[in-house]
Amino acid sequence: MMPVLKGYAGQILRVDLTRGKILKQPLPPDLARGYIGGSGMGARILYDEVPPEVKPLSPENRLIFATGPVTGTIYPPSGRYCVVTRAPLTGIWGEAHSGGYWGPALKYAGYDLIIIQGRSPKPVYLAIDDDKVELRGAKHLWGKNTAETTDAIEEELGDPTPRIACIGQAGEHLVKFACIVNERSRVAGRTGVGAVMGSKRLKAVAVRGSKSVEVADFDRVCKLANEAHKRYTTGEWGKACRDSLYVYGTPGLVDWENEIGRLPTKGHQTGVFEYAKDIGPERFVREFVIHRRSCMNCSIQCKKVARVRSGPHEGITEGPEYETIVAFGSNCLVRDFPALMQANQLCNIYGMDTISCGGAASFAMECYERGALSDHELGMSLRWSDGDRMVELVKMIAFRKGIGNLLAEGVREAARRIGKGSERWAIQVKGLEASGQDGRPHQSAGLTHAISVIGAAHLRALSSLDELDYRKPLTERYGKAKAKDLGDRLSTKYKGMLVKDVEDLYAVVDSLITCKYGTMWPPIFYFDDYAKLLPALTGIEEFGSVKELRVVAERIVNLKRAYNARLGLDRKDDTLPDRMLKDPMPEGSAKGKVVDLKPMLDEYYRERGWDVRTGLQRRNTLKKFGLADVARDLAKQRRIAKG
Amino acid sequence: MPYVYCDPQLCTGCRTCELVCPSVHERVFNPRLSRIHVVRLEPAIDVAITCRQCENAPCVAVCPVGALRKSRTGLVEVIAERCIGCGLCSEACPFGVIQLYNGKAIKCDLCGGDPACVKRCTPGALKLISPEDLASEKRHAYVAQRTQKEVKT
Repeated sequence: MMPVLKGYAGQILRVDLTRGKILKQPLPPDLARGYIGGSGMGARILYDEVPPEVKPLSPENRLIFATGPVTGTIYPPSGRYCVVTRAPLTGIWGEAHSGGYWGPALKYAGYDLIIIQGRSPKPVYLAIDDDKVELRGAKHLWGKNTAETTDAIEEELGDPTPRIACIGQAGEHLVKFACIVNERSRVAGRTGVGAVMGSKRLKAVAVRGSKSVEVADFDRVCKLANEAHKRYTTGEWGKACRDSLYVYGTPGLVDWENEIGRLPTKGHQTGVFEYAKDIGPERFVREFVIHRRSCMNCSIQCKKVARVRSGPHEGITEGPEYETIVAFGSNCLVRDFPALMQANQLCNIYGMDTISCGGAASFAMECYERGALSDHELGMSLRWSDGDRMVELVKMIAFRKGIGNLLAEGVREAARRIGKGSERWAIQVKGLEASGQDGRPHQSAGLTHAISVIGAAHLRALSSLDELDYRKPLTERYGKAKAKDLGDRLSTKYKGMLVKDVEDLYAVVDSLITCKYGTMWPPIFYFDDYAKLLPALTGIEEFGSVKELRVVAERIVNLKRAYNARLGLDRKDDTLPDRMLKDPMPEGSAKGKVVDLKPMLDEYYRERGWDVRTGLQRRNTLKKFGLADVARDLAKQRRIAKG
Repeated sequence: MPYVYCDPQLCTGCRTCELVCPSVHERVFNPRLSRIHVVRLEPAIDVAITCRQCENAPCVAVCPVGALRKSRTGLVEVIAERCIGCGLCSEACPFGVIQLYNGKAIKCDLCGGDPACVKRCTPGALKLISPEDLASEKRHAYVAQRTQKEVKT
């Protein structure tokens, strides 16, 4: 079948696991025009196909794997895909992104998206080899970890190597923050997408593709790709990328964040970790890194293979990333780097999000310290900084053993069941454990955590422009008058506008799909770059206007928001843990500060055209972005504001 | 004769070379049609391999119709008009770097002397170099490293 639009494979693969049916459907051109791809398209499909009465782990929920028009092309980086679903950890809109080679393989096989629905009567895996698509029995794989599963399927399907995305034991046991792991160490991590896969008894999706990705203007895409590569690798930003991300990877951030007092430590109690050097980039590279890796067609290359040469945690892992170092390191007061790496590796093989799992570990440590969980309940003592016990806890969570069964529900639910005031130590927003930022030394990061549509995550709307006071892009994008205030990370002024703008930009980035490196940091690419790129890829001329592209971005943001509004969420949910709102930062550059959320939130709603009092969307706002049908739907359920 | 060499210490397995190569030769984005391929072995090996432009090339020797030859410049080249697509060259190549596409053998032609993959290699793992020059570089690097060690101790 010839693709309707360029830049896309032109087909959706729909798999009904209940009936074992596989359907190939043409990609509707309007879906591409309206939502670009990736999580944008995913938003439209999830909104239409998964109404509020469908529970996350019920067969009717959808698990959507999505690529975008950049995926598989030469425009760097082009290795990303995302997973969209109604999330079991939070009960709301869920999305998780991953790199590697799996996304491009899906496109080369001839599919833009896979929609998984239903529940298989027995464990299966989906094997895609271009046009040949089949469900194969996975009884022999059930119970295996992600590395073993990948090895076994590779062996079974033979050469050329298929790309494999799978779940480990955590996904099978419906751990609420189970993830999907592709190529052993690349992870669609957040919100529990792996538990949805486990609930459908789908162990893996193996993809082999041999087709070409066709684009509208081949020469122009090549030219833009060459320019993008140059911007990633030369000049000021090129040097910055190489000196940090290539040499150290994301662990490079540890020193900087500690310096500005933004390295979440001891369950976000503070932003300074006394032993940050022990889990910092210099030690990482000096003692542990044995090889550097990359995702598909990337001009930055931030991945590292690390080896612990001896001791109880001897072994090899890919990573850990900055977020993992915070989650299992500073946030648990753990300075035992090998233990932290072991926790990382266990999360990779059992298939768990390191941010949420680390969040569960630090929560449990605080419960133990404050007497909310006893030695008996934990089955062991669990003091802050005890790396070995933390590793034990990770295993218990993956297999839901002992206290692990409770912690596997996520900290919000665990705190609800434990009581004893433990809600206050459950550092989460909307049920999602907070990522490695803190709004007190970086006010806009507080707003980001509060408004993020999946809960306390960084990748939906985090800005580095204010964190690092990048005055030039701040001036270019928002004008000289605002640049000074914007560049002050302790100031709340204009931060509602800033977060709204980066959230819109990331809506495009997450739909293309490309990486936050180059957009979040360093701030190289902006709307105008993608307005040049998208028509060359797709032939869709409307994407060529920044104004139009911003409309598409706001449409996507509004649609995801509407998904949550329909489930009853509003302003009361756009908040932060008391620890950030009420407990002054005890040390560092933001000493004495709390997150001053209200003014930022008010400004953010105004910028979005939403009702400031309730945080609900307005009919006219939704109409403006082409979502009149959504406005009608929300009105029926009284989840819309007047005007 | 220079060939595209990949330093396994530097290769990250990003496969940009696999995308650049067919974009230049076939004007498509499709790694399957690349003349250079990355091999990844877990847990920590990545290396790109392509034609080494052998002095006594087995592919040239086995081709039954004279569709492969060692050119005067030293390049092992395919004469597409003669190629019958039998695949003997693929069988003979010890490195697995000749394959068939549309019934013809395809292999690295060094892009006429300025390989596109080398230009786009982010970690600088790929370079166009002759075995003689590579040996010379290695001698240099070895002595430099050795003397540094001795100075330190």
